[in-house]
Amino acid sequence: MADNEVKQLISHLDTLKPSTLTQAPQLLSRAKLALLKLHALVPGAQTSPQHLLLAATVLEYGALISIRLKDTDAFTRYYQQLQPFYSLPAERWNSRVGKPSNQSKVTGLYLLLLLSVGDYAGFHTVLEGLEMSAGKEQMEKDQFIQYPVRLEQALMEGSYDKVWGETKGERVPSEEFGVFSEVLITTIRSEIASCSERAYPSLPISNAKNLLFLDSEGAVVQFAQSRGWVAKDGRIYFPQQEEEMLAAEKDVMSSSGMVIENTLGYARKLETIV
Amino acid sequence: MADKMDVDAVNGEKEEETVGPAPDLPAERIITNNFNLINQAVDAFDARFTLRALRNISTIRKAPNFPEAIAIGIRTAFPKPQNNARRVLETMLPEQYKNVQNGEAAGGEGVKDPDVVEIAEVWAYLGVLVQVYLYDTQQYKKGAQFSENFVEKVRSFNRRTMDSIGAKAYFYYALFHENLDPKPPSKQSPVIDIRPKLLSALRSAVLRKDAETQSAVTVLLLRNYISTADITQADLLVAQTQFPSSAANNQVCRYLYYIGRIRAIQLAYTQAHSHLESATRKSPTTGPAAGFYQQATKLLIVVELLMGDIPERSLFRQPALEAALYPYFKLVQAVRVGDLQAFLKCVSANEPQFRKDGTYTLTLRLRQNVIKTGVRMLSLSYSRISLHDICTRLGVDSEESAEYITAKAIRDGVIEASLDHQQGHLVTTAPRDAYSTTEPSEAFHARITALLGMRDECVMAMRYPMNKHRQEIAEAAKARERERELAKEIVEGEGDEEGEEQFEGM
Repeated sequence: MADNEVKQLISHLDTLKPSTLTQAPQLLSRAKLALLKLHALVPGAQTSPQHLLLAATVLEYGALISIRLKDTDAFTRYYQQLQPFYSLPAERWNSRVGKPSNQSKVTGLYLLLLLSVGDYAGFHTVLEGLEMSAGKEQMEKDQFIQYPVRLEQALMEGSYDKVWGETKGERVPSEEFGVFSEVLITTIRSEIASCSERAYPSLPISNAKNLLFLDSEGAVVQFAQSRGWVAKDGRIYFPQQEEEMLAAEKDVMSSSGMVIENTLGYARKLETIV
Repeated sequence: MADKMDVDAVNGEKEEETVGPAPDLPAERIITNNFNLINQAVDAFDARFTLRALRNISTIRKAPNFPEAIAIGIRTAFPKPQNNARRVLETMLPEQYKNVQNGEAAGGEGVKDPDVVEIAEVWAYLGVLVQVYLYDTQQYKKGAQFSENFVEKVRSFNRRTMDSIGAKAYFYYALFHENLDPKPPSKQSPVIDIRPKLLSALRSAVLRKDAETQSAVTVLLLRNYISTADITQADLLVAQTQFPSSAANNQVCRYLYYIGRIRAIQLAYTQAHSHLESATRKSPTTGPAAGFYQQATKLLIVVELLMGDIPERSLFRQPALEAALYPYFKLVQAVRVGDLQAFLKCVSANEPQFRKDGTYTLTLRLRQNVIKTGVRMLSLSYSRISLHDICTRLGVDSEESAEYITAKAIRDGVIEASLDHQQGHLVTTAPRDAYSTTEPSEAFHARITALLGMRDECVMAMRYPMNKHRQEIAEAAKARERERELAKEIVEGEGDEEGEEQFEGM
């Protein structure tokens, strides 16, 4: 029956090796069709706990596999589909049958995705929702959620070496999180670069290598050229003209037009009052 | 006794008008007096009378014989006991006040009194009183059920004179459901079930151009969404609907507060700040509304801190706010100095208070503000400081972090400095002279436009009685007549007596 079919597909997905990952989307579509036949793809009031568990497991596998395949749209879709399951009360889940095991992992991955695209508003919105439903103590113990939270804190503070440390091997909670490490490193590299432009008058290339977490001096020179910096004598010089431009804008003489306009406005308004 | 009440009610209407609020009147007198106010409101199609009637709900609900008074009121308004409308209301009151009637069940809608036109509003008013009573005695389940039917009925009436009463009815409807278990922020809370009802009420209110219900229901929906942390939905609601500009001040305050909340969560701090500032300015600061003022001010303080400004100390000294704002005062002190340790201590010490106010997550975001302020303090006081020292003073973990943090601070424009990597120093540059730029004039311009805008709003909000301008015209015409006569007299007077005669002026 559709029941068994789903169970079969789940066990098949379980045993997938990384090399055979491309078969996964097909298997997932078949599983979803089977779920539809069971009326379990969307949790209704009559869906039994077993079906709920099957559906949630299939969707979670789908989410994790799309991360491994680097398909962010599919991941977002699976996440949205999982939301109704996660917001069900505890009574719907039979203790014998069990609850979906990867809830915090999927949520943590979604938070990380939001961070890597720079959607801080969305990040905080989801975090608020989590805080309200789960409570602080549970969240603190939860590794998968604390990871993006720590990352976000470090990013906002500007301590990029912490971010670097987090994305290195041991601190990452699981391999799916590792997929994001690359994206994050690129983000912080550009951040550091823009900070360095304003902060340093010039930098020796060896120091730049450490600052930017690059592997070799050649890479540094390449990166510098892509950002439009000048590299000579083993030092990098940052362009300085931005500050002069800003200073010129604030010059009083050039904005006399503005001043005149404002003053005329005041005079007009005062006429109406007096 | 009922007869006496009737007679008094008829005679008492004049009294109520000229004398103003009489707090020592017994509750049932007030209720029956309000019937006349409501009738007047319907006759004159003027909402102000209904508002006055609704205003003394807060005084009469504290009266010890409140349910009795309601029962008497019901009996006065609907003398026929088998009236269906009356029965609906009476079933909500406790046993000893009811007149048990094995009444002839009136078919369908029931027999109403001949002057049914005015009575509909009176019935609605009594319904609201019943809601208040049920809420005060904490019979939430019963109240929720009653409110559901009541609100449907009011909506079906579609009478403009019932608008303000209807708005109050929706308010209590939402309030009852909020108190049912499981309470929000659980996702199972019954408040989620009333959302479709509220949305359809909003639709009808907009179609009927019912500004009061529209504003009340919008505010209730926002509160609903925020309580279950559905911020995206709340945001969509704000984007798709318009808040009526003619709404009452209380609703406007609430609306601004909720919008400010949403924007603060979405990291749009400047917008949130302006909304919350208007909310605190418009809100009444005394009496039962002091609680709202406190909440709004707390949120305002946190948003100001997140923007990087320090709230003024005078804010904390206001008598209404002093006690409530104490934890926030400590928070502000920690942020102002840039002391990370004190900040963390303050947050953990006051955690339950912050959670209750719903500002805990926002407070956590203040961490980077503390660091930024710390960096700024250091750059102001030192012309050159080593990164190692920065690291110890800020309380950061490593020198590298300190370096990155300062670089970020420089890029964000928090400080004016440059880093010397080889020697590991932060060197501050001399500050620019602000007065040689246009910054002062821009700041002045912003303030002037704000004040002029406020003045325009005040002028537009002034109300004049309807026919006054005709009187003015008449007076002006008379004045002109008089002037003309006087001028004529002067001319004639001058013509007759030329030269030395004293000028007999006006």
